[in-house]
Amino acid sequence: MPMMRINVGPIHPGTHGVLRMVVDVDGDTIKNVEPHIGFLHRGVEKLCETRMYMQNPSYMEKLDYVSAMSWDELYVAAVEEAMGTPVKERAQWARMALIEFQRIANHLLWIGTLCNDIGQMYTVFMWCFRERAKVLKLLEDVAGQRMFYLNFRLGGLQRALPPDFVDRAYALCDYLGKKVAEYEDVLDANPIFMERLKGIGVLSKKDAINYGVTGPVLRASGVEEDTRKSKPYYFYNKISFSLPVKRNGDSYDRYRVRYEEIFESIRIIRQCLRMMPEGDDVGAPIKLIGSPAKPDTVVVSRELPKGEGLIYMIPDKQKPYRISLRAPGFINMAVLPKIAEGEKFADLFAIFGSLDIIFGETDR
Amino acid sequence: MEESDAPYTEEQFMNAKQRMDKLLEQSLKGTKNPPNVFFTKLSDLTKELSKGVVNWSRTNSMWPLQFGLACCAIELMDFGASRIDAERKGYLLFRATPRQCDVMLVAGWVTKSMAPRVKMLYEQMSSPRYVISFGECATCGGPWWESYNILQGIDQILPVDIYVAGCPPRPESLFEALMKLQEKVAGKDYGSRERNLSENIRGAEEQGV
Repeated sequence: MPMMRINVGPIHPGTHGVLRMVVDVDGDTIKNVEPHIGFLHRGVEKLCETRMYMQNPSYMEKLDYVSAMSWDELYVAAVEEAMGTPVKERAQWARMALIEFQRIANHLLWIGTLCNDIGQMYTVFMWCFRERAKVLKLLEDVAGQRMFYLNFRLGGLQRALPPDFVDRAYALCDYLGKKVAEYEDVLDANPIFMERLKGIGVLSKKDAINYGVTGPVLRASGVEEDTRKSKPYYFYNKISFSLPVKRNGDSYDRYRVRYEEIFESIRIIRQCLRMMPEGDDVGAPIKLIGSPAKPDTVVVSRELPKGEGLIYMIPDKQKPYRISLRAPGFINMAVLPKIAEGEKFADLFAIFGSLDIIFGETDR
Repeated sequence: MEESDAPYTEEQFMNAKQRMDKLLEQSLKGTKNPPNVFFTKLSDLTKELSKGVVNWSRTNSMWPLQFGLACCAIELMDFGASRIDAERKGYLLFRATPRQCDVMLVAGWVTKSMAPRVKMLYEQMSSPRYVISFGECATCGGPWWESYNILQGIDQILPVDIYVAGCPPRPESLFEALMKLQEKVAGKDYGSRERNLSENIRGAEEQGV
């Protein structure tokens, strides 16, 4: 049968972003997928070179707009290393709790949109957004804005945590644990959901390592790797948490890893709240001309919700001379032609959705 | 003889006036008799009635286009989710094809490679069509103002009806913007006629779009 070439996107409701895919199909079977990216390119790395150190978090947050605080934290950590600024102990615990809340918000949105992609329209989407709104409300009360927080300063937070933060965070953890556990009844017990995900888009362990994927995509393929475990930052080595690892590497396992990570994040947050000392957590205020940075090259990596994010920065005195970003979405995207080959065309968006790609960081 | 500042003499002016009156009489000869007074009033009445009914129905079933570009699209999803029930104001589900839609929500920054495609989507929508510029980036370029690949405002290529400020605006702001648009469509607002591509295109030629 002759092959047919189908153009998908760049504006397509299934890609929830601006991705153009040129798909070669033989009948209904995908032979080749060619992703075209760059429709959101705006030159972040170049713009960062024109700004002072603490003006850049605003750019960094818009890389991954689903988990803005994680990129914010990564960039501020890179600047702190360049400056040699120590972080206050209470602020470290607070940062851990906040970025784990952000991870939960990210995974909730991902589960909701995945269910939309596979045709389980709007029920689970509504549930996930109900829980996500609660998380965002807490983060908003901490930082002051709903989606972009700019919550970190050198050595601490932008402002002190609200006095009722710990109580509210405990209550939110209880709420999330109870509500998210209910999803299993709708998703895993649903034969349609399982049919659409199980055995679809299989990424083998060898391929996962060769392509350099990170995060939940890598852990779903059976590799136990997490920056929080292998290169622990803050107090991640002082608390106990486990990594959800699956063997098959299909879309269902990628869903399962993220789903179980929500409960692990709740576990981490509970420990952080328990061990958080009293005291000061406010960082240095933003100055137009601050203390100059050390000239050494800085490489900082963090476990973002989508995978390992890395900042390579050559510091100048008051602003970065060159900044290079390793966005997990860009690397994970490369695996799409591999895992979509041989699948049905209707499953393309379920496979693509299971990778959790955001085009803000892919196109930069 | 007294010098006059007037370019024409009295005689010339009277001649011109007579010629103008004659022309006017000739032009009126070609027209039909004015229609019956009763019928004029009835047609006006039905026209007004149908206009009111059409506007009322348009106002109460506005269908937005499912079209997200960047960060603001996440807030758009929140707008469509459970916390804000937009259907009670007639904003039904986001439609996937522009041919079924009335409102286009431009949510996110528009790069130069994306701008022709956004314009094509607008052209595919059937008239009357309305555009809402959602967020800083779509309104003026936002934080990417200095970037080399960004359109500094969607109003360079599309006629925008409502601007929403914020980075990103809260979903409540979008709801308010859509209710403002409803007022405009219903004719409560001054300047409520539909806008089209031929007007207010800010520097589209210089942008090369």
